[in-house]
Amino acid sequence: MLTLERVTKRFGGLTAVRDVSLEVREGDLLGIIGPNGAGKTTLFNVISGYYRPDAGRVLLAGRDVGGEPPHVICRLGLTRTFQIVKPFGNLSVLDNVMIGALTHLPRVAAARDEARRVIDTCGLGPYAAARARALPVGLRKRLEVARALATRPRLLLLDEVMAGLNPTELGGIVALIRRLHAEGLTLIVIEHIMAAMMRLARRIVVLHHGETIAEGRPDEITRDPRVIDAYLGEEFVLAEA
Amino acid sequence: MPALAPGRWVAVALFGIVALVPAGVRDAYLLDSVILILLWGALSAAWNVAGGYAGQVSLGHAAFFGIGAYSAALMTARFQQSPWLGLMLGVALSIVAGGVIGYLSNRLRGPYFALSTIAFSQVLLIVASRWRGFTAGSEGIPVPFRPGFWTLGLGHVAWVYLALGVAVLYYGVAIWLETSRVGYQLAGVREDEDAAEALGIASRRLKVYAVTLSAAMTSVVGTFWAQYVGFVDPFYVFSIDLSVRFALNTIIGGIGTGLGPFLGSLLITSLETYLRATFSGMKTGFAGIYLVIYGTALILVVRFVPEGLTGLAARLRVRSSRAHA
Repeated sequence: MLTLERVTKRFGGLTAVRDVSLEVREGDLLGIIGPNGAGKTTLFNVISGYYRPDAGRVLLAGRDVGGEPPHVICRLGLTRTFQIVKPFGNLSVLDNVMIGALTHLPRVAAARDEARRVIDTCGLGPYAAARARALPVGLRKRLEVARALATRPRLLLLDEVMAGLNPTELGGIVALIRRLHAEGLTLIVIEHIMAAMMRLARRIVVLHHGETIAEGRPDEITRDPRVIDAYLGEEFVLAEA
Repeated sequence: MPALAPGRWVAVALFGIVALVPAGVRDAYLLDSVILILLWGALSAAWNVAGGYAGQVSLGHAAFFGIGAYSAALMTARFQQSPWLGLMLGVALSIVAGGVIGYLSNRLRGPYFALSTIAFSQVLLIVASRWRGFTAGSEGIPVPFRPGFWTLGLGHVAWVYLALGVAVLYYGVAIWLETSRVGYQLAGVREDEDAAEALGIASRRLKVYAVTLSAAMTSVVGTFWAQYVGFVDPFYVFSIDLSVRFALNTIIGGIGTGLGPFLGSLLITSLETYLRATFSGMKTGFAGIYLVIYGTALILVVRFVPEGLTGLAARLRVRSSRAHA
């Protein structure tokens, strides 16, 4: 479904992403972890069209989309959420989500109905009329997901949708992601919260200084000495033991 | 947005009253005020498409106004053609110029965009005031009055209806922008371009379309204004004062709303006319006093009602519904 072939992205002298290759198949739930500055969000920006890769190819359903703008990639079935949420602050929650639905439903009334359904799915029903700006952070993260879902993606990239949430909110969003995955959505998830990632992802890619240092099942990753060295630290291993 | 419904009724009432004015009023001075309020309102509504709905605050819209005014004035005075042809030429030129400004809006943000629009209108001012052989330079162009619709040589009553027609049409454009797919997508672009892109919206292209539409709408009223007033002076039609006025009317009335530009025009145009008549130099012995009062009034509005008249109305409505509850 999505294939990265030796993707590289540089900013001046800094190589933020170096030679990253990966393969996402229909129905995958891939996790990407790594310390701050490892290049996770940069990689998302390349995949979703915000950055043009300096080298390598991004293939979406066999088509090279490297350098295509985000709106084209969205219409090909891939969209994303933003780590630093970007709600349409002055618009209602319903309008926010409806703007996503308008991409494939040109009629406003139909898009509004679709938006109501998506909002209910994401547990935002009671807040439909609220201004997006007035939402607390936990709900804004949900709004990011809802708005992206309204475009009916086949592949969804979630950038730290769990960061800053309390345990209850966290449980809710994990359940939501699981349900979406069970319904057939393919996902790539960037997350800092290891515990949640271990429960969620089938396969994890570890980035460090812009390079892939490990890839595998969660239990393999936690035992990988390079990963422990670079990211998890000994404490994590001890805590697991 | 159900909150807008009362505003629509206010619009129907206001435009309805204007339509009835010529039936009862024959006073040329009063009709002149009505025509100017409508034209200023339409110009502000045109500005609002870019500045309000697309979030691209331009301070150079006088450029498009001047293009419309000059196209028609030159077409009539120099080539003895219909001002309607001048109107179409003005629209065509403004679409090109608006496209350039729209392109700039994708390169420059906020204050830098606003500054570049000022520069653009100043360049046109220099061209119009220096190209003496063609535009008559700083002397300006008197527009010949030839009675008839095709020549736009109309009486006051006809002008009221023509200006009203444009005003209603432009109000309709605003309603379209608040209810249509394109309008919602544009709102998304205004709020956050990156997020809009992720939702499949070609945000840059949409912004260029909005600015271009706004430019063409401004040009049309520029043509009507020149034909109505009968004189085109480069230092007026390309002035920053004029650009600021479009923005000011809209901000005072309620930016990004359908009715706001018209309410702003109604308030500011009547305030200015009243103050100039009442506190003129002859009566007070102080020539600029009306400008001092006018400026103070504007500062007070911006200080205490920053969301504009439509926002104030919404606020009062919420308060009264709470009081009743």
